[in-house]
Amino acid sequence: MFNDLDPILHSQLRLSIVSILMTVDEANFNFIKETTKAAAGNVSIQIKKLQDAGYIKVVKTFKNNYPNTTVSITSKGIKAFEDYVSNLKKYINPKK
Amino acid sequence: MEENLTPEESLLLITKTIEETKERFKENGHILVFWGTLMLIVFGSQFILSLLELYKFTIYPVYLFPGVGGVYMIYIWIKEKKKNKPKTIIGNILGSMGWIIGMNLLIMGFFFWSQLGVAMAPVFLILLALMAMVVGLSIKFRPFTIGGALVNLIGFGSFLLDRDYHGFSVMLGAVVGLIIPGMLLNKARRKENV
Repeated sequence: MFNDLDPILHSQLRLSIVSILMTVDEANFNFIKETTKAAAGNVSIQIKKLQDAGYIKVVKTFKNNYPNTTVSITSKGIKAFEDYVSNLKKYINPKK
Repeated sequence: MEENLTPEESLLLITKTIEETKERFKENGHILVFWGTLMLIVFGSQFILSLLELYKFTIYPVYLFPGVGGVYMIYIWIKEKKKNKPKTIIGNILGSMGWIIGMNLLIMGFFFWSQLGVAMAPVFLILLALMAMVVGLSIKFRPFTIGGALVNLIGFGSFLLDRDYHGFSVMLGAVVGLIIPGMLLNKARRKENV
């Protein structure tokens, strides 16, 4: 139906994650989970998909002996997001 | 979560998520109000001690800066680390600038006060003005920008004043540049959360 829309981004949770990362330099896993109000497993799966597409960079470290996953958007991800928004606008207002 | 979104829903989701994210790391004025109040207490105490002619004790209130201020900042730093706050460019700039200017003010005040002489208070105020204006311009909050500009003027004006009035200048600077804008920022943030 929406052919030009990037299928990686055209999913509620993945789009939310990328929108968060467009707003900040980097965010940790818990911040993303709390902001999207999604289940940890689901967030984890979607982060993996975005990472595989090269849209985000994931760094896993330890903080106070607990795993700490930090996520940031890549230049490929920024370009994909900008194209996605541009295509959305075309669908909403095709005359422009 | 894999349901098909319409373009309108997608745009709405993007806008909502960005707004929610920004809301979660908005700066508030607590730290700046704290430092403004501490400055007021320190310089106010020095003034009262001078009035009582207890000149040899006027140095002691200054130790509240590293004592109370330092402990409070360490507490804030530990508290913020525990939160899942994301990193932002503006947040990093403001945080680093606060530490750098704060440390410079302390070093100036404790180790170079005799070299700075009568220029101590004006230089102190000019650095404070710089911080308030950068905060105001970065977070787009006019009271800090205006407060900072006023502190800048007070700073330059202090060069023309007798040294006896410098304590007043710094107290006025703390109220105009930190306490009032900080309280206005807190009020604005509370209003937004209603």
